[in-house]
Amino acid sequence: MEALELYAVDDSREVYTEELKLNLGPQHPSTHGVLRVELKMDGEIITGARADIGYLHRCAEKIGENVSYLQFTPYTDRMDYLAACNNELAWSLTVEKLLGVEAPERAQWLRVIVCELNRIASHLIAFGTYGIDMGANTPFFYAFRERELILALLERPSGQRMLYNYVRPGGVAHDIDETWLDDVLRFCDHFEKMWAEYNTLLTHNRIFIGRTANIGVLPKEVAIAFGVTGPSLRASGVRWDLRRDVPYLWPYGELEFDVPVGEGTHGTLGDCWDRYWVRMREMMESIRIIRQACRRVPSGDFMDKNLIKIYKSPIKPGPGEAYLRTENPRGELGFYIVAAGGTSPLRCRARGPSFCNLSVLETLLPGCMIADGVAIIGSLDIVLGEVDR
Amino acid sequence: MESLIGLFEKLLGDLGHADLAGTALPLAGAYAVCIGTLLGFITVYAMFAIWMERKVAAHMQIRYGPMETGGWHGWAQSVADALKLLFKEDIIPSGANKVMFWIAPAIVFCGVFAGFVAIPFAMGVQIADVNLGLFFIIAIASVEVVGVIMAGWASNSKYSLFGAVREAAQVVSYEVPAAVALLVPVLVVGSLRLGDFNAWQEQHGWLILHNPFAPVAALIYFIASLAGCKRAPFDLPEAESELVSGFHTEYSGMRFSFFFLEEYASMFVSSALVSTLFLGGWTLPFVNVSHMPPPVGAVVLLVKIFAMIFVQMWLRWTLPRLRVDQVMSMGYKYLLPWAFAAVVGTAIFETLGWRWLPL
Repeated sequence: MEALELYAVDDSREVYTEELKLNLGPQHPSTHGVLRVELKMDGEIITGARADIGYLHRCAEKIGENVSYLQFTPYTDRMDYLAACNNELAWSLTVEKLLGVEAPERAQWLRVIVCELNRIASHLIAFGTYGIDMGANTPFFYAFRERELILALLERPSGQRMLYNYVRPGGVAHDIDETWLDDVLRFCDHFEKMWAEYNTLLTHNRIFIGRTANIGVLPKEVAIAFGVTGPSLRASGVRWDLRRDVPYLWPYGELEFDVPVGEGTHGTLGDCWDRYWVRMREMMESIRIIRQACRRVPSGDFMDKNLIKIYKSPIKPGPGEAYLRTENPRGELGFYIVAAGGTSPLRCRARGPSFCNLSVLETLLPGCMIADGVAIIGSLDIVLGEVDR
Repeated sequence: MESLIGLFEKLLGDLGHADLAGTALPLAGAYAVCIGTLLGFITVYAMFAIWMERKVAAHMQIRYGPMETGGWHGWAQSVADALKLLFKEDIIPSGANKVMFWIAPAIVFCGVFAGFVAIPFAMGVQIADVNLGLFFIIAIASVEVVGVIMAGWASNSKYSLFGAVREAAQVVSYEVPAAVALLVPVLVVGSLRLGDFNAWQEQHGWLILHNPFAPVAALIYFIASLAGCKRAPFDLPEAESELVSGFHTEYSGMRFSFFFLEEYASMFVSSALVSTLFLGGWTLPFVNVSHMPPPVGAVVLLVKIFAMIFVQMWLRWTLPRLRVDQVMSMGYKYLLPWAFAAVVGTAIFETLGWRWLPL
């Protein structure tokens, strides 16, 4: 592994200190949940790292094999709890693929809007907590101010603030009220101004750039080799976004939006600052998508009529299997279902972006300081609920 | 101090024990009064400063902060917190070195507490008018580092140890630029007695305007004092997101509150130094404060000190934290050379007898 050699410890030094084993987590302020990283430290410098996961394992996939297809949707909310709509979407689309049905047009456009709103909310958390990781506590509150607006918007059709259970196989759970789309558009205008404020607060801060530029450089080849996806992959210069390249939801193919990639603005391509900046720009692209989508929501059904009838008794897809991947805020989320004709799947598996992105941690950490380690973990933006499932 | 001793001698004479006046009794009485007053002052000040910090933080973070306890804007929140800490169980980790764990908060607090002794609060209001007042404060403040290292080592926790080592490296490094920067006012005034700085500035105006190098020195000292007080962006020894809570991770209850008290007390001392040395101390431009009653001077100084403390809080809630190597390189590569340059520049200025402003 070339990247490993790059970070190899310099043995030519004369002063040696005793190797110290440090447990970062599972109860640590900046592991974003219950991640445990076993660090080998030489003074302040990390010489070895091993990520230990499983502290939040809730058998989500096994549960999927014991509940009906519709009942599993709320469980997917609890995987990546910061982007619940996106998880529901991945599950719903996979089940629809298995059944060979497609949601009505109105539902498709509503799905785009709620998923992009949820993506902004998720990236806001990434932005805010990254500030806290860097020792700047204030941006977090500004991020939560706007996130609160999104949660209020999503609460109106779904009745929930965080784990919506809104996108379901066959469409969406409820229709929106009359003024919802106008309020979403008003939020877009408001958010653009606030986004500029975030940048003055954190993005272009000299200390922040000094802490994140050239740190945790993830080369393109290493990122692909480890299966890193989402903003973390794009920050390494790979323009790969399923919304654009494999439009799993056909409205995405009709919308105009850019896929931001890392440019190495303040240092090396694929460093922590690039990952951060890709997320920040993705929020603005999501605003662009929402603006276009809001104008195109047609009237009509919000849920497949035939499916509603079927839902009265549990659906039983015939023998077969389906896999579908979607662009979660953190990367590619895919569900794999094997159906054998029963009311619940025979096998149900998830390919989680946080889990795959986390695997690169052991390559990135050796050679940097403990403060950089925190910066790297934060820049990968993992959600442990989805790593452990 | 001398006036207090005289007061006690007179009191003893009035009570018919004039024979005791020559013994150590008046001195002990004067000491007791001074220490009691100082402890009371520091406690009240720290509670106010903690409340202020929470309010400043809250308003910068679009919140209100404490609003309930005590009624008006949660003014009694710190009192309630202090009472809570006082009644908490005193926990010493089983693997800790008990004696060192026990003594470390005391050492940390004593170092800062002693610094208060030499601060001239107003004309004639000063516990000890030390000849080398400035030197005394710088020297006694370093004692705090010993306590922090003891706390980190005795806790028997790796995070505490990291915090203690960072503290040692950081504070020792930043004492150099701080002390060098403080040479600038010393060169101008020609004294180390803190009272002389007030007298000089009463006559000549604020020292920060005296020559073009004085503002540089003031800024360097302010930045270095941030590092000395472990305030953001130099809060590495307790870096919450990295070291959980740094050197006081294992401390709880009253012992923890001593570290807390120490942080705010050292903020006060460093702000008092900046105010006294550069911003006129208890004097005001165009107004002769030394002819007014002492409380006026004390209020003037306190206003300046709290303005400096507000700037420290403002920075803390705005800036991200630096990394260890960045802290070191900033101290040695930028602050120290500039501090030397300011000293040399001031020396030239003084030798040639130039005046920047007609003050």
